[in-house]
Amino acid sequence: MSELLQRRRFAATRIGTGLLGGLLFLACPAKSAGEADGEVAFRHQAQPVLAQYCFDCHGDGEKKGGVVLDRPDTGTIRDPEFWHRVLVQLRTGLMPPAGKPRPTPEERDRLERWIELQGLGLDPGNPDPGRVVLRRLNRIEYRNTVRDLLGVDFDTTSQFPPDDSGAGFDNNGQVLTVSPLLLEAYLDAARTIVARARTNRLETGATMGLPRGWPEDLAGRRTALRTWIRDFARRAFRRPVDDGSVDSLVAFAEETDARTGPDREAGLARAVMAMLVSPRFLFREEPIPGDPSGARYPWVDEHSLASRLSYFLWSSMPDAALRQQADAGTLRPNLASEIRRMLADERAGAFIRQFTGQWLRTRDLESIAIDPDAVRLQEEPPDLELDRLRQRLKELSVKPAGARSAEEEREFVAARERLFRVPRRPRLEFDNELRRALRDEVEHGFAHVVRQDRSVLELLDSDSLFLNERLALHYGLAHLGIRGPEFRRVTRPPENPRGGILTLGGVLVVTSNPTRTSPVKRGRFLLENLLGYPTPPPPPNIPPLEDSAVRTPGHEPTVREVLERHRTQPACRSCHDRLDPLGLALENFNALGQWRERESGRPIPSAGRLVTGESFRDLRELRQILVTGHRREFFRTLTEKLLTYALGRALDYRDVVTVDRIVERLEREDGRFSALLGGVIESAPFQRCRGGGEAQEPP
Amino acid sequence: MKSGHATGLDRRRFLRGLGVGIALPAFGSLWPIPAQAATEAVAEGMATTATGAPLRSAFVFFPNGAVPSRWWPEGSETDFRLGETLRPLEGLRSQLQVLGGLDHACANPGPDGAGDHARATGVFLTGVRLKKSATDIRAGMSIDQVIARAAGNSTRLSSLELTCDTVRQAGACDFDYSCTYQYNLSWSTPTTPATPEANPRRVFERLFGAGEPGERVLNRLRRQQEDRSVLDYVLDETRRMQRRLGREDRDKLDQYLTSVRSVEARLQRSERLGPSRDPDRRTPAGIPAGHTEHVQLMYDLLVLAFQTDSTRVASFCLAHDGDNRPFPEIGVAQGHHDLSHHSNRPEKIAKLLAIERWYVTQFGRFLQSMQEIRDVDGRSLLHNSMIVYGGGNADANQHTHTNLPILLAGGGGDSLRPGRRVHRGSRPATNLFLSLADRMGVRGLERFGDSTGRLDGL
Repeated sequence: MSELLQRRRFAATRIGTGLLGGLLFLACPAKSAGEADGEVAFRHQAQPVLAQYCFDCHGDGEKKGGVVLDRPDTGTIRDPEFWHRVLVQLRTGLMPPAGKPRPTPEERDRLERWIELQGLGLDPGNPDPGRVVLRRLNRIEYRNTVRDLLGVDFDTTSQFPPDDSGAGFDNNGQVLTVSPLLLEAYLDAARTIVARARTNRLETGATMGLPRGWPEDLAGRRTALRTWIRDFARRAFRRPVDDGSVDSLVAFAEETDARTGPDREAGLARAVMAMLVSPRFLFREEPIPGDPSGARYPWVDEHSLASRLSYFLWSSMPDAALRQQADAGTLRPNLASEIRRMLADERAGAFIRQFTGQWLRTRDLESIAIDPDAVRLQEEPPDLELDRLRQRLKELSVKPAGARSAEEEREFVAARERLFRVPRRPRLEFDNELRRALRDEVEHGFAHVVRQDRSVLELLDSDSLFLNERLALHYGLAHLGIRGPEFRRVTRPPENPRGGILTLGGVLVVTSNPTRTSPVKRGRFLLENLLGYPTPPPPPNIPPLEDSAVRTPGHEPTVREVLERHRTQPACRSCHDRLDPLGLALENFNALGQWRERESGRPIPSAGRLVTGESFRDLRELRQILVTGHRREFFRTLTEKLLTYALGRALDYRDVVTVDRIVERLEREDGRFSALLGGVIESAPFQRCRGGGEAQEPP
Repeated sequence: MKSGHATGLDRRRFLRGLGVGIALPAFGSLWPIPAQAATEAVAEGMATTATGAPLRSAFVFFPNGAVPSRWWPEGSETDFRLGETLRPLEGLRSQLQVLGGLDHACANPGPDGAGDHARATGVFLTGVRLKKSATDIRAGMSIDQVIARAAGNSTRLSSLELTCDTVRQAGACDFDYSCTYQYNLSWSTPTTPATPEANPRRVFERLFGAGEPGERVLNRLRRQQEDRSVLDYVLDETRRMQRRLGREDRDKLDQYLTSVRSVEARLQRSERLGPSRDPDRRTPAGIPAGHTEHVQLMYDLLVLAFQTDSTRVASFCLAHDGDNRPFPEIGVAQGHHDLSHHSNRPEKIAKLLAIERWYVTQFGRFLQSMQEIRDVDGRSLLHNSMIVYGGGNADANQHTHTNLPILLAGGGGDSLRPGRRVHRGSRPATNLFLSLADRMGVRGLERFGDSTGRLDGL
C-alpha cells in the first residue's frame, strides 16, 4: 500500500486535528492577516463549486463520513492531508457519487487549482523535491553491483535475509535497515566474493577483477597499489575518492601484507573486502550540494544523478560511460540519449523485473500455493451419479471375482465401462515452469511497451499476447502452434478474451486464495494499483463471507452469489459496491488464471457496473471503459508507482504537482512510455534535493 | 525455484550425522557441554540456574492463533485434561504450564483499525503499540533483546533469531502497516528489527564456523581475525562519513554503526570464551524445500545452540501471522489463514485444528529433544530452560488478542513449577515476560511494554 493511499485514509482521522487547529487559529490573531487571504481565496475559488456539488452532504450542517467542507474556520482549510484526500475523491470520480450532479470540467479545474495552491500550499513553479533518506543497497542491487564491479555472481537470495519493503517497494530507504545479522552476512559475502574474484582472475584473466602481475620493487609496487585502489574505490563508491581515503586503504593493505607474508595479494584482497563492507559501498551516499545559485532546491551532483539513474533502470552501479559523463559534468545535457542507451542495455531487464514484480506482485508467484485439484473442483459440480458408480465399483471390486453374483458381475462391468468413458482432463500442475511462464508473460508485456515506446494504455488493453508453449497450453491456446520455452508476441485471436493486465495469468493467480478465486482481493488489487482508488479496510467484526453462504438454499453458492448476499448488509455495501465489480468481471478466470465457463456448474455472468456508474457487458467493454473513461486515473497511478520506485521513498501530498506534470505530459504525448520515464527522470524530486544539510521541512 | 534449497535427503543426512532426532540421547552423552562457559556465567551471575548451569529462554511464535475451545484444558490447576490441540504434548505435561488470561491490548485495533496480523507478530514480543505506517517504522525493543543485552555477554552469540519465512510478500502487507512488522518478532531498538535467519546453513555456520568438520575451529579463528581488522577500518570510514551527512542520514548510519559494534562485541566475546567445539557433523546444505523439514531443522539447531551454550536466549518465528500456506504434508490444501476464518464451519475447523496440532507436534518433538539431553548439572536441558510457545491472535476467526494461547515449558532450573494450568485473571502478556526477564538476570527493569507488574505463581 502506498504511503499516499495511507495518507488519504489517514486524513479521515485527522479531521479531529484540524478542528483543534481551527481553535488555535481563532486564539491566535498574529497570523490572521495571511490566513485571511487564504479565506478570501477559499470563498472566491473553492466555495462556489463546493457549495453547488458537495454541501448537500458535507455542508450546511451535514457531515457525511465526518467530512465538512463549508467551514474554513474549522481549520481543515489549513490541513493539507485533508485537502489531499478531497482531491483524490474528486479526481477518481468517487465524489460526487454516481447519480449526483458533477462539476463541469472548468469548475473542477478551478477547484483543483485552489486545492493545489491553497489547500496543499504547493508552489508549482518550484516543487519541493522531498528528502530521500540514505539508501542501503537491497539484495538485488548488491548482487548486480558486485557482478558489474568484480564479475562475480554472488547469490544474495540464499545468503542475505529478505529485505523489507515500504510504500510497495523494497528499495525504500526508510525501511532498509542493517541488523547485526546482515552485517555478519556482509562480512562473509565480501570474503567469498573476493576469493572468487581472485580465482576468476587466475582462471580466466578477467580484466574487471583484481590486477594481474605486480612490480617487484617496493616503490613500483606501492604506486601500482595506489593506482589500482583509487580506481577500484571510485567504482565501488560510485564517485571520486579523496586522497585521504586512498591513503588509508593503501595503509590498510600494506599493514595486512606485512602481517601475512608470502601471499603477496593478501593485503589487496583484504582492502577490497573492507571496501565491500564499507558504508560507502553499501549505502548510496549523496553529498549535500553547495548552493552557489542560492536555489532553495539545488541539483544533486552528477555522480549522484548517475547512481540514481543506474539503480533505477539497472538496479546496479553506473557503468564507465555514465561515470565519464558525470566526471565531465555532461550527464544532464545528454540525459535523453543516456536514458535511451540504458533502456536498450540488457541490464534494464532488472527494472522490468523489479518494478513489475512488485507493482503487479508477480514476485509472489514463486511462493504462492494454489491447489490445482481444488481449482478444478470449483468449476465442476459434483456429479452425484458418477460418485455413486465409483462408490459401487469400489464395493464390488473388493469382492474376489468368484464371490460376485451374476447380477453384481454385470453391474461391475457396466460401471467400469461407464466410468472408463468419462473424459479425463489432463492433470494440472502448478509447477515452477508454469510459475516462471506466468511471471515472464507479465514482464514481456511490460517490456514491449517500454522498449517499443508504446502507449502505457496498452498495458490495460492490448491485442498482443505473449506466450510460450507451456503458457499457450495453460491458456487453452495450444492450437496457435507455439513451441518451446521462448516467448513470442502473437496477435490475440478473435473472440479471445485476453489482453492487458486484467487478464494476465500471473496477476489473476497472486490475487487468488489457494483453492478458489477471490473477487474481493482482485477488485481491491486492481482498484489500488491501476486506478489509485482508496479502498478502506474492512470494519472490525464484519460478518465473514461464508456466513452469507450458508443461508443460500438449494445448491452450493457461487462466489458471486455469496458476495451479492454480503452486499445486502448495509455495513458491507458501501465498500463492496466499490471493490466487487472489477473482481467479479474476472470470475471467468479461475485461481490459476485459466478461462472457465462455469463455477459450481453454473454459468458465470460477465456483465457488471462500476462504482463510478458505467455499465459493461463483458471484459472487452470493461477494458474500453478503463482506457477511455479512466485513462487519467491510470496515468496518475502508474506515475505514482514509478516515481515511488525511482525515488526510493513514499510519496505524499507535496508530490501532487510533480505527478500532475508527468500526467499532463502523458496526455500530450499519447501516453508513450518515454513521456512517463522522461517525466520521472526530469522531475524535481529525481533531479534535485533539499539543500543546506540540516534542511528544514518547508513550511 | 527457491535458490539455496536443500533436499529432504540432505536434511536426513545432516540429522543422522548430527545425532539429533531419533538418536538424540546418544548425542547428548557423546558431546558434553564445555564446563568453562557455565563457570564464567556463575561469576557474572547472569542467566544461570541455582546449580550454576546456564539458564536458557526461547520465545516461539506460531501464526494465526488457536481455536480457543480446543486449546484450553479442562480441570483444576494440577489435575487437568489437555485440550484437543495440545494433546500431542501429553507425554510432556509435567514440563508444561498452560497460561490463561494473558492479553496483548496493543494488538487490538484501537484507533489504528485494520491490520491485526501485522500487530499480532509485531506486538508479540514488544508489547507496544506499533506506529501504523508503511515506511516510518516504530515498535519497541523486544523482550528477548532486553534479555540479550543484559545476559548475552556470557555466550558467543548474545541471542539467536530464527524464522521459517523464506520470502516476503511483494508490495504491500497488512493494510497500512509496513511488512517489517509482520515478519519480525525481535527488535533490538524500536526502529531496528533484529532480522531473523531462515537459512539453516547460515545458522550452523554462525554457531560453529564454516567448512568441513575438523576445519571449522581454525576457519573461525582466521575469519575472526580478518573480520576484526576489516571492522576497524570500517569504523574509521563510518566516522568520516558521519561528518558529511545530514541528520536523517546520520540516524541511518548510526544504525549501521550499532551493528558494527555489536558484531565487534561478538568477536571479542568469542575470543574471550575460546574456540567453539566443532560438532564434527556435516553443515546443513541450505533451506529445505518442505515446511516440516525446515521447521524441524531449525528446532534442531536451537537445541544445538542451547546445548553448546552458544546462546541463552532465542526467538523463533514459525511463520508470520496471516501466513496462508497450505499443509500438503497433512492433506490440507487450503491456506492456513483462510481456514482460520472458519465461520464455525465444521469441515474448516477440522482442517484448521489439524494444522494447529501439526505445529504443536513439532514443538513437542523439540521439547522431547531438550528433555533427553543432559545439561552440565545432570538435569535435562529442558529443566534448565524457559520456553514460551504462543501466538499473537487468540481466536483468529475474530481477530481477538485477549486470553492468548500461550504455553510455558521447562523448569527454569527449579525456578518454575511446571505441570499446571495457571489462570490468575486477565493480565498483559508482558507481565509474563517481565517475570522471565527477572529469572534471566535482568536487573532494574520495572516495566516492559504495557506490563502492569510481575506474573506471580509461575
